Amino acid sequence: MSAARDMLCATARAVFADAATAGMGPIEGAGFGLLLVAEDQDGFGGDWGDVNAVLQIAGVMVPDLAVAELIAGQALQPAATVSLMAGAMGQALALSIEHVNMRQQFGRPLGKFQAVQQSLAVMACEVRAVEAAAAALAARLDAVNLDPLAADFEIAAAKLRANRAVGVVTAIAHQVHGAIGFTKDYDLHRVTIPLMRWRGAHGNDTYWAQRLGRQAAGFGGRGLWAMMTERSDVHRRAE
Amino acid sequence: MQGFALYPFDPPGDIAALRADLRRWLADNQPRGDVVARANCWASFDPDFSRALGAAGYIGMTLPARYGGGDRHPLERYVVIEELLAAGAPVGAHWIADRQTGPLILRYGSEDQRQRYLPGIAAGELYACIGLSEPGAGSDLAAVRTTARETAEGWRINGQKIWTTGAHFSHIMLALVRSEEDSERNAGLSQLLIDLDTPGITVHPIIDMAGHHDFNEVFFDDVLVPNGALVGERGQGWKQVTAELGLERSGPERYLSSHALLVALVDAAGPDPDGEMATLIGELAAEMWTLRQLSMSTAAKLAAGDDPMVEASVVKELGNAFEQDMPRRVQAIVDCGWDDPDDLAKLLRALLVASPSFSLRGGTREVIRGIIARGLGLR
Ligand SMILES: Cc1cc2nc3c(=O)[nH]c(=O)nc-3n(C[C@H](O)[C@H](O)[C@H](O)COP(=O)(O)OP(=O)(O)OC[C@H]3O[C@@H](n4cnc5c(N)ncnc54)[C@H](O)[C@@H]3O)c2cc1C
Repeated sequence: MSAARDMLCATARAVFADAATAGMGPIEGAGFGLLLVAEDQDGFGGDWGDVNAVLQIAGVMVPDLAVAELIAGQALQPAATVSLMAGAMGQALALSIEHVNMRQQFGRPLGKFQAVQQSLAVMACEVRAVEAAAAALAARLDAVNLDPLAADFEIAAAKLRANRAVGVVTAIAHQVHGAIGFTKDYDLHRVTIPLMRWRGAHGNDTYWAQRLGRQAAGFGGRGLWAMMTERSDVHRRAE
Repeated sequence: MQGFALYPFDPPGDIAALRADLRRWLADNQPRGDVVARANCWASFDPDFSRALGAAGYIGMTLPARYGGGDRHPLERYVVIEELLAAGAPVGAHWIADRQTGPLILRYGSEDQRQRYLPGIAAGELYACIGLSEPGAGSDLAAVRTTARETAEGWRINGQKIWTTGAHFSHIMLALVRSEEDSERNAGLSQLLIDLDTPGITVHPIIDMAGHHDFNEVFFDDVLVPNGALVGERGQGWKQVTAELGLERSGPERYLSSHALLVALVDAAGPDPDGEMATLIGELAAEMWTLRQLSMSTAAKLAAGDDPMVEASVVKELGNAFEQDMPRRVQAIVDCGWDDPDDLAKLLRALLVASPSFSLRGGTREVIRGIIARGLGLR
């Protein structure tokens, strides 16, 4: 990550910490609404890579605030939601790892049991897939100057992949936590409930799968591969 | 392993041109043949095709030119192999030599070994097999018992390998053997490069459940190979094998070997599929797109000199699941008989039968998940 993005993330963490109790005020005050506005128009001049990084933090710290809506327009809300979901899934995994390392049963930490290890490996694969989808979508959006139409395939694929990960990630996170994860006091629901909500927001699985499936069918069997490679080769040239 | 970004996949040169050249070459040179050979195509053996591919410069691409290689960047090679796999080209003869044995010889081999083997590998004429598994050493690879004793005349090898893919057509085996007497587990192991025409070696076919002869048992009965057969450092076999497995597990073959089925499905569905079919194609396309991002990032990390053991395992785990899931889901919604003669039915049957092996070969699902769990700090 670039130094500028590191700084942006540090700012986001500090501002979102305030916003967690104070609401949108600090976020608007800190100028996050200008993240995508060009520098010569007094904006921050950020790209979708920056948005992805900031929204992953928002997905953990302020999942109930309208940060994505502040930063991006309606057509990019599905893409923004992927980033929120990636962040929340990363946090669900982190909480789960922390918990199984601490909680002891049968005389050892839960994380020492192979069944628990294998569950968390499955979960980690899903989280990694969604992080990759969010990053690849960001690369595409930045290569096409945030034109949602030119990134339609990637938006559909990434949102669908993120949606499909929700079931596995929330189920395993809650399972390894036991009863404590089902309490209001414990932080897990702060990411798992938003994940359940985001799965249905801005297009559920069937919506995106049918859209993507029809698009892919239009390319034809061999055309699907040709199209996928052409789109990624292009954005490498643009970088 | 949390929150890591995608490694930028940034090969030098004009990648679109590299792809276009290869696609043209394939249009002229890929055998039309049986559609089933296009599925699981890195198990499809076709020495004529391998030789032609080598002559065209698409094998041993990353090896130095002085050994017959192409001096190309590893990510240029990645682009070439993803194209070959997506096209279902029959790359099985040279696959292992190109993917792992060649690079291992370059990294750990002696000058002699490099000169002797690498030009043949790059030409697509010299084939290799992987001698790891034994009857008592499957997931538990550190249990290998095949011994090699150093004598004045050379290494004397006794024991047995099993499940050795391609041993019946390969020229060489890179074998993991116990070189140190009374050693245990992963200490005292070495890698030997064994010419398979050496006296005392017997190769027995094992026919798989699809009726194919891909893997074998290989017996070593007092086999004498030169002292120069040792690859790398004596006793460091475990470390070297770990590097080899990194190459074995990180490639696009872990999600692209069944691509022929997706191609046939999309073609059979036509341009205006109904809702259920569109949903299936969409879900498969999304998974494949995601896996491609993960695979490219892993390749880029490997090319940058980092060790992507955990990332490679994520690609293998998700890729195996994708490729095992795909034929089952296709069968669930497509109405075709087991023996129907059309492409889709033939591919479907071939992949339903082949797919149980996907999460066994190259490390079982449970072993791979164990590696990921270690990456999470749980073991
Ligand atoms: C098509 C194919 C090609 C192959 N080609 C080659 C080759 O070219 N060269 C080569 O050396 N080998 C090859 N293999 C062998 C392959 O590497 C082994 O099959 C694999 O390592 C598993 O070993 P095994 O078959 O002995 O199963 P086992 O180790 O007996 O395992 C059986 C089951 O038990 C599980 N299991 C084992 N131990 C544990 C544990 N500690 N915790 C939880 N679960 C466990 C496994 O995950 C698996 O599900 C090939 C295999 C196949 C199917």
